[in-house]
Amino acid sequence: MINPTEQVPDDSEENYSKYAEVLRSQMARGIIGGNHECPYFPCHHPDQDCTFCYCPLYPCEDTALGEFVTSGRTGGKVWSCQKCMWMHRGDVASSLMVIMPEVGPRGLDRQTRSRLKRDLEARHRKRAKAIMVLGATSGAGKSLLVAALCRAFRERGLRVAPFKSQNMSLNSMVTADGEEIARIQDLQARAAGTRPRGDLNPILLKPKGGVTSQVIVEGRPYKDLTVQEYYSDFVPNEAPAIIARNLDRLMRMNDVVVIEGAGSPAEINLRGRDVANMYVAKLAKADCLLAVNIDWGGAFAYAIGTLMLLDEEERKLFKGVLINNMCPGGGSLGESLELVKATTGVPVLAVLPHVPSLYLPVEDSMDLDQRPGGAGSTIVAVIRLPMISNFTDFDALSLEEGVSVIYANAPEELETADAIILPGTKNSVQDLLWLRESGVASAILAKAGKVPVLGICGGYQMLGRRISDVHGLEGEGPKEMDGLGLIDAVTHFDSYDKRTVQVSGSLAIGGGEVRGYEIHMGRTEGSEEPLFMLDPDGRAEGSWNREGNVMGTYLHGAFDLPAFRRLFLSMVEHRHEAESAGMDHEAKIDSSLDRLAALVEEHLDLDALLRGDPDGP
Amino acid sequence: MARRLMVQGVTSGAGKTTLTAALCRHFRRQGVDVAPFKAQNVSLNSFVTSDGKEMAMSQAYQAWACGLEPSSDMNPILIKPKGNGQCQVVLRGRPWRDLGPGESTPRVIGTLREEVLEAFRDNALGREMLLIEGMGSPVEMNLKEKDVSNMWLAKATRSPVLLVGDIEKGGVFAGIYGTYLLMDEEERDLLKGFVINRFRGDASILGKGIEELESRMDMPCLGVLPLVRFSAPAEDSLDMTRRPAGATGSGDMRQRWMLELDRLLEKWEGAWDLEKVSRLV
Repeated sequence: MINPTEQVPDDSEENYSKYAEVLRSQMARGIIGGNHECPYFPCHHPDQDCTFCYCPLYPCEDTALGEFVTSGRTGGKVWSCQKCMWMHRGDVASSLMVIMPEVGPRGLDRQTRSRLKRDLEARHRKRAKAIMVLGATSGAGKSLLVAALCRAFRERGLRVAPFKSQNMSLNSMVTADGEEIARIQDLQARAAGTRPRGDLNPILLKPKGGVTSQVIVEGRPYKDLTVQEYYSDFVPNEAPAIIARNLDRLMRMNDVVVIEGAGSPAEINLRGRDVANMYVAKLAKADCLLAVNIDWGGAFAYAIGTLMLLDEEERKLFKGVLINNMCPGGGSLGESLELVKATTGVPVLAVLPHVPSLYLPVEDSMDLDQRPGGAGSTIVAVIRLPMISNFTDFDALSLEEGVSVIYANAPEELETADAIILPGTKNSVQDLLWLRESGVASAILAKAGKVPVLGICGGYQMLGRRISDVHGLEGEGPKEMDGLGLIDAVTHFDSYDKRTVQVSGSLAIGGGEVRGYEIHMGRTEGSEEPLFMLDPDGRAEGSWNREGNVMGTYLHGAFDLPAFRRLFLSMVEHRHEAESAGMDHEAKIDSSLDRLAALVEEHLDLDALLRGDPDGP
Repeated sequence: MARRLMVQGVTSGAGKTTLTAALCRHFRRQGVDVAPFKAQNVSLNSFVTSDGKEMAMSQAYQAWACGLEPSSDMNPILIKPKGNGQCQVVLRGRPWRDLGPGESTPRVIGTLREEVLEAFRDNALGREMLLIEGMGSPVEMNLKEKDVSNMWLAKATRSPVLLVGDIEKGGVFAGIYGTYLLMDEEERDLLKGFVINRFRGDASILGKGIEELESRMDMPCLGVLPLVRFSAPAEDSLDMTRRPAGATGSGDMRQRWMLELDRLLEKWEGAWDLEKVSRLV
């Protein structure tokens, strides 16, 4: 293989025939998808299709796809395909394969090339249509609307990707490539049928307590920044290039990119410093939709206020307002709908009903209170640590027949608990201090042995004998701390290094498939029996103090598959095996996404939205 | 007539009840003879007065903050949802009738308005000050004709209005500005200022936004109130979820609520301009 950036044929007869030969052999080989054996892979993107490594349309000289650059060899202008993703989309490659003619001795002539290109252009967009959902507030339903649109477009056979330039969340997950993204973007990727990657959510802020956040860039830990540093340095100097390159790539690889804003676009104290809302809308030339939650009241005030605080140019990007979460029997809104258009020039496109009992993870810790916890008599108390993270871990548990998940932050709340879970935290040391001061630590110790206790990630670290942070990596606080001592294990924080990896394996005792992901700093060593055996080499993971009924693991999402859920619940006394249903977590998520997609299909004219004319005639 | 101030919210749950209670407490501590008033409350948390009348728990709580015995004149209409769109209407402390969808006819509204004004007068009689709480958002245009507790009341009693917005859910500038934009001229005249509630962090970061809003609306921001988790009687389901979990401990819950309110006032000290607020009243 030749480095594709050097695939420029010079004008010699010999080169023409060589190129023609390569084109013929590519066609003979057929569609090959990604060529992982190639030393240059991935020369464009990990999801590229390599069938047409040599582009039959070369040089197309279409500046929407590639660009002229100065040749390193000759100093002259040559056509570069480095940025072009079009020919590396599987669907485009397949279409071309079908319409490719015989390749002559000098390759394809200019006329044939432009005919082929026109035919392809009729079927595949060169650049995605960008649609952006912004919210008048947090919790306006942006995330799920984006997921719903992704699924609905996907159902129409379009290539779709979600995008959120900047997200602040403690619920992250790890992709197959070991990249860390917000769990909600993973859900949207699932809705879109695209692989979750760091580029869908290129800037992820994980609050660490106080004013500091860990900044994840393109799925990898970058550095810790204070709010001040983030806005005065990172946002003006680094964020624009990060956002632009990731957005551009997605726009080149898809038919539709559904972009999610963050919070409200009208935080006028941040004018010029917000890179998550109108900045992206302008960059993507997106058609914008404003989602407003009607449940709290004041929805029309928020809609009108938001639009009227934006400047004229920004307001014109809005194609419509979506009133979300309307309860049945909520009365008529007629006059108010007209008023929005009359005041702002932007129509209300839809009033979307509240969708009951969706089985989908939520976005951030503010929503913790509103999580349905289930209604069973088996009470699983998740300790509500001040910096609790990855509480999506418990969604699958709360869906089990007969189980209620409660979030407890006071000792008395543990009295009736049938099982206790210490969840993940963004700051193990600080939260361990809180655990002691609040009296919750003593309450856990009093219950230990009587009910099963599980620690996940930071919670696992706390259950051990000691946490040692000699370099102060977890921020201010003691360098050495005693844990609860329920598990014979010690955790060390010895480098600013984060383990982010997807894992699978089985229960160490009795087998049963387990899957999850690790996101943590610090490493834990101990002498207990392991909880899991991980693929591919049977690495032991977690600790199980069998006498004390105490377990610890670094695996987030471990409850998603039924095996570990059953094991954990089987340790709860008085619980009947029959209550524990082996529900398929992922099938349930997919069916919720389908319901949402059907909802937006019903209430919105998606064809008009794709045309950019949703309020049309 | 008594001095008066009305607290309206950008949304439900913006903090009207707490803000009103805190103001009640503040003025009470200044030695003012102050009482709360909320024309209509939708809640299943009710309280029974010493003369056997039913009223919303929130106004009973505000009455205690004023050092007063709760009276149904402080909350003449209590709507108790019964499911299926049916509500029991408690009028001036006694069950009046059930109302279903579409049964709030102009005649019913007319009756309710008369009762509200009468209770308002009785409540104000001989008092120095009334602190009035609105209900939900004052600019639900589809509900304006049926309004008995927001701008209709402010106009009918010529009460100045303070608007509170919750910053925790984001978009607070838009919420406040949009509420203002949806008011008519007369209503905007009554609106005297706004307050931002449930703020976390360093308030100086809001400076530019507040300045812009002050100049667009030509009225002052009277405070940026920090988020304080504290216990107060739950008004409705929305508050239930905000209520911090934790023990009531032993002892009298009412005393605890008052201690909590005092603690709240301490935490809010310096975060709002109570001098300016009291000049509005």
